[in-house]
Amino acid sequence: MSIRKEIDELLQAGLITEETAEKLQRYYQAKERTSSNRLFIAFGILGAVLVGLGLILIIAHHWDELSRTTKTLLSFFPLLIGQLLCAYTLLKKRNNAVWRESTTVFLFFAIGANMALISQIYHLPGDTAIFLLSWMLLGLPLVYIMNSSMTSLLFLGGITYYAMLQGHSSYAKPSPYLYWLLLLSIIPHYRKLYKNRPQSNFTFFHHWAIPLSLTFALSSITGEQDKLLFIAYFSLFGVFYILGDSFLSPSTKPAANGYKAIGSFGTVVLLLSFSFQWFWKGLENSPPQFFPSSPELLAAVVLSLTAALLLYHQQKDKKLRELKPLTTAFIFFIAVFILGTSFSSLAVLLINLYLLVIGSLAIRNGARQNQLSTLNYGLLIIAALIICRFFDTKWSFVTKGILFVLVGMSFFLANYLMVKKRKTT
Amino acid sequence: MKATKLYLLAFLALALAQWYVPLQMIYKKEKVHKTGREYKFRISPVDPTDFFRGKYITLHYEENAVEIPDEQNWTAGETAYVLLTTDEQGFAKIQSVSKEEPKGQSSFFKAQVAFVSRDGSNTLRLSYPFDRFYMQEFKAKQVEPLYRQKLRDTSNTVYALVGILDGEAVLKDVLIDGVSLKTLLNREGE
Repeated sequence: MSIRKEIDELLQAGLITEETAEKLQRYYQAKERTSSNRLFIAFGILGAVLVGLGLILIIAHHWDELSRTTKTLLSFFPLLIGQLLCAYTLLKKRNNAVWRESTTVFLFFAIGANMALISQIYHLPGDTAIFLLSWMLLGLPLVYIMNSSMTSLLFLGGITYYAMLQGHSSYAKPSPYLYWLLLLSIIPHYRKLYKNRPQSNFTFFHHWAIPLSLTFALSSITGEQDKLLFIAYFSLFGVFYILGDSFLSPSTKPAANGYKAIGSFGTVVLLLSFSFQWFWKGLENSPPQFFPSSPELLAAVVLSLTAALLLYHQQKDKKLRELKPLTTAFIFFIAVFILGTSFSSLAVLLINLYLLVIGSLAIRNGARQNQLSTLNYGLLIIAALIICRFFDTKWSFVTKGILFVLVGMSFFLANYLMVKKRKTT
Repeated sequence: MKATKLYLLAFLALALAQWYVPLQMIYKKEKVHKTGREYKFRISPVDPTDFFRGKYITLHYEENAVEIPDEQNWTAGETAYVLLTTDEQGFAKIQSVSKEEPKGQSSFFKAQVAFVSRDGSNTLRLSYPFDRFYMQEFKAKQVEPLYRQKLRDTSNTVYALVGILDGEAVLKDVLIDGVSLKTLLNREGE
């Protein structure tokens, strides 16, 4: 290990005392151990996932030659193995994360494989949503009994897929309200994870998985008032952004802050898609009726109130000047939405201006705080806005061309100036 | 130690549930398999489709529409109880559909309403809970050519054998002129 050599060198040069050298050695050894443990967990899980998926594929072959009884008995074999492994882990290896995570993940897949094989044997109908639901319900307690975070992540994926299947099926099925209950059921585990191990990779993955799951699942709310769902989406992204910006512990790395990233990116993408005329023309021609019982209205109201409450908490001790345009995008959109029901062109104009403001402020903040990523994000927003306008404005090609050249040059210039500034300071 | 015991107990309960749910599925279907009355359903083109539970063929049932007294009473997607009888050639025929379980009968099953006429013709089209026939992955692909070849002889009939008991149904086999599809495909392979 080169670190050890260097410590020796420093010791010989008399730069550090023997005591410090020992301390340094111990520090690096401990660090090595945790990182190798992490690697073990990752490989353990990867192995279990691969074996589990392999089982499902082998089962999917559908062994015609075997009798019904043999196939049924075989389908319980992986389940039994998984359960025995988990029981052993509970008894002997409860404090070993590698054992806990990998045996539980294996059992989780064995449950699915078992159910898949039985539905094959009896030619059960194709309702994948129900199949997934039973699987997830039988797997959920594993998260808590085995304290397995990977199973929690798999569970989140499963219920999201369930919500999508149920919500977007060709029949008018009831909206998958069960999804929201299932999501709530995973929150205690998430909370514990966040409290006890705020810096662990599992916590980071949950910071991404939960907002992602919500983003997908919100679209499964289907009723007669689909336009109101856009308000719900703006507010959802608002909630994410404010949560990620102010309520997640400040030590969370930017790459781990899924809330902020999804909130910010989602808001910008929505704003960009609403900067076109088509949506607003449609809204003006057929404004939504506010049925008090429509699920979209309920979702929009609940999410907007949550976002407003969070915003109030975030801003109550701050000056109005510190308000970020991304956090208030949802309020802005509600206002523009109401305005847009009668003045579509004005709505389009306002959305475009708002995007311009978000982009410019990001550029300014990036330059002030010396952050290349923020600066480029702002430039990207402006560039995307101009590309969008390329399609629906009647400017001449020359004007459009000049605009493109200007934006491209500003990318070069801004980045060059920033890097130069960094070098001099 | 006490905590370990508690966790183990909870795990045991869960492990039992993980066995109970599939076993109960098997029990219900086995009962229909063994004691349910067998019905032959005429079927027409089968198209192989992929999925992550394996390869299967989709069966289209010819007897899937029924006349109802009032089309306004029904909507697509709801559950219908289908009471069965047989026609002169011994194939399954819908006797009636109802919104509640028929009392004192056992030859009925639960189906989903796929389509309701809205033009006064008072017709209901049903989708059956046994429209998938899982097959060995390489065999599913061979079904369609075999089917077309067999259909050239118009005396051949293709049908699904379904066990029916008290609302439950189990698809037992798909047969062409009395010979199981599996046997036919094995013969082709030789």
